Amino acid sequence: MTRTGLLSIQGLRTEFSTPDGPLAAVNGVDLEIARGDVLGIVGESGSGKTVLGLSIMGLVDRPGRVTAGRIAFDGTDVTAFSEAQWQGLRGNRIAMIFQDPTTSLNPVQRIGTQMIEAIQAHRDISSGAAWQIVREAMVRVGINSPDERLAAYPHQLSGGMRQRVVIAIALLNEPDLIIADEPTTALDVTVQSQILRDMRRLCRDSGSALIWISHDLGVVAQIAHRVAVMYAGRIVEQGATMELLKSPSHPYTAGLMASMPANSPRGQRLVSIPGGLPQLSNMPKGCSFAPRCTRATEACEVPPDLSFISPGHGVRCVFPLHVGAALAERN
Amino acid sequence: MNEGLARRMSAAGQPAKGTPMLAFVLRRVMQSVVVLFVMSLVVFSMINLVGDPVDMLVNPESLPEEIDRVRRDFGLDQPVHVQYWKFLLGAISGDLGKSFIFGRPALALMAERFPATLELATSALVISVTVGLPLGVYAGLRPDGWGTRIIMGGSVLGISIPTFWLGLMMIIVFSVVLGWLPVSGRGETSRFLGIESSAFTLDGLRHLVLPATNLALFKIAMVIRLARAGTVEVMALDFIRFARAKGLAPRRIVLAHLMPNILIPIVTVLGIEFGTLIAFATVTESIFAWPGLGKLVIDAIVNLDRPIVVAYLLFVVTLFLVLNLVVDIIYALLDPRVRLQGDET
Repeated sequence: MTRTGLLSIQGLRTEFSTPDGPLAAVNGVDLEIARGDVLGIVGESGSGKTVLGLSIMGLVDRPGRVTAGRIAFDGTDVTAFSEAQWQGLRGNRIAMIFQDPTTSLNPVQRIGTQMIEAIQAHRDISSGAAWQIVREAMVRVGINSPDERLAAYPHQLSGGMRQRVVIAIALLNEPDLIIADEPTTALDVTVQSQILRDMRRLCRDSGSALIWISHDLGVVAQIAHRVAVMYAGRIVEQGATMELLKSPSHPYTAGLMASMPANSPRGQRLVSIPGGLPQLSNMPKGCSFAPRCTRATEACEVPPDLSFISPGHGVRCVFPLHVGAALAERN
Repeated sequence: MNEGLARRMSAAGQPAKGTPMLAFVLRRVMQSVVVLFVMSLVVFSMINLVGDPVDMLVNPESLPEEIDRVRRDFGLDQPVHVQYWKFLLGAISGDLGKSFIFGRPALALMAERFPATLELATSALVISVTVGLPLGVYAGLRPDGWGTRIIMGGSVLGISIPTFWLGLMMIIVFSVVLGWLPVSGRGETSRFLGIESSAFTLDGLRHLVLPATNLALFKIAMVIRLARAGTVEVMALDFIRFARAKGLAPRRIVLAHLMPNILIPIVTVLGIEFGTLIAFATVTESIFAWPGLGKLVIDAIVNLDRPIVVAYLLFVVTLFLVLNLVVDIIYALLDPRVRLQGDET
């Protein structure tokens, strides 16, 4: 696969200023996404994955702001963009889908109005022509009788249908990149898998790259080519989905996988990682996972560098798992 | 305001789930008749406790026979319940009695004065929305700006400074010292589209500006606070963030997404507040000698002109009942979620 780079993030740091000083929700993140790539970002609530998504969209609100690092989108550094430049980019070349479809749409405007404005914000096009595009987009995301739905208000649609509308809006301007922040979490399991399948198909058809943010490793495994695992504002491990799932190298990744219900024998208590995320105001000096890690020693009191287990499979851990196995395989 | 709001928010005030609009309106009209009846009973018995109007109607030096004759003529010699019964029979046929002072039907007198008050209240409402809404939205969008501090400080003053004092100060500054605007009265009126109003002549407008602004000041402050609270609340919602993610211009986000959502509660409150503008224009009308309902009723109270006072109070009650109903209907039109419930059978 020869894919050209689309998004390149280096050393991104997003801080929120508080009375007790700045807190870094995203702390030195490096990411590369190629055109048509599907990247999954996995982490618990509070790990900074949503803030990372918002940082890429330039939507971090005060008191938060991007304080360091570089976000290059299609070769252009967007970190210094003006609000007007962001407007041209958002919804046009980068689209974002949020977690809760019930609140993503304005309750007092018709679906059609909310879709057409997304087109007219970026293209000089008549409402009639926009209506045609919007109709087709509705059909593409699997909504029958689009005219009826377009005239409806959000509360008249089911949660699954609303999320389809939101996805249709994200796809309207054929963006190069879609950031989906847990778009299926609020939906029930059957609808979830349908949407997941549709999303994968739609992105493949349109050639859009996709960042799928989720707390659910199982969901990410179904859709992503590559996975990045986030913990306390840092990416602790990233690699190709299959390899990462087969041989997780960071103890946190391994813990996440062990705690998936599908990986536990029936009738046994589910495995969980002891402890909780460290407070941003009280981060461990070295590896932020060390306090919860069974393998931690004094060596973990220094922030671990990124090391590569195999090409494209990086981990931030002093004592990664499976290194021996990986080395053996390579030899 | 709080009472009005509470009433609006109560279960009975909302279009009930699954009830057609017509049934909803009919039920409300029936409730209104009951309220009016109870009100009339209260008003009528209370007014009988405050002084004897005959004292005001005859020369104190008149002969006792003369006084008795006047008492008989006005039907004041009969027991209260008989008086009330007569009033009720009259009220059902649309006759609320004759003014003791003017000798003319109370309703006709009020109808003559009503346009002036309506004009004053409407102007005040328009001023409060056109001034208050933009300022409130601005304050909500820039919570830390220095402009916001000035606006919010001003709104505190607007709420706490007594209307009558401010009215007097406005007369002193703009009419007496600067001489820009007339001191009192309604000025020249003219007819446009069948409505007689001073808003259509320059002289009328010059007379209208001060009293309307005076009456509006409190409401401006209220609209500012409502709009700011609404803006802060709505701007934090997901659909605003999604609208930004769509790449919409800030102008479009404010006009198409923020405004319709903050207008719902503002319209609700303003509907009721319009009633208070009419009902409590009394003070402003007295200060500026505005020939409206408020001035009529103040004079009637001073002269113990019972029929006018009773008719006025019943009018105000009716006004609030009607406004509540209208607000509920407008509310249903603005908020599609309410509309759906009203349309379903």
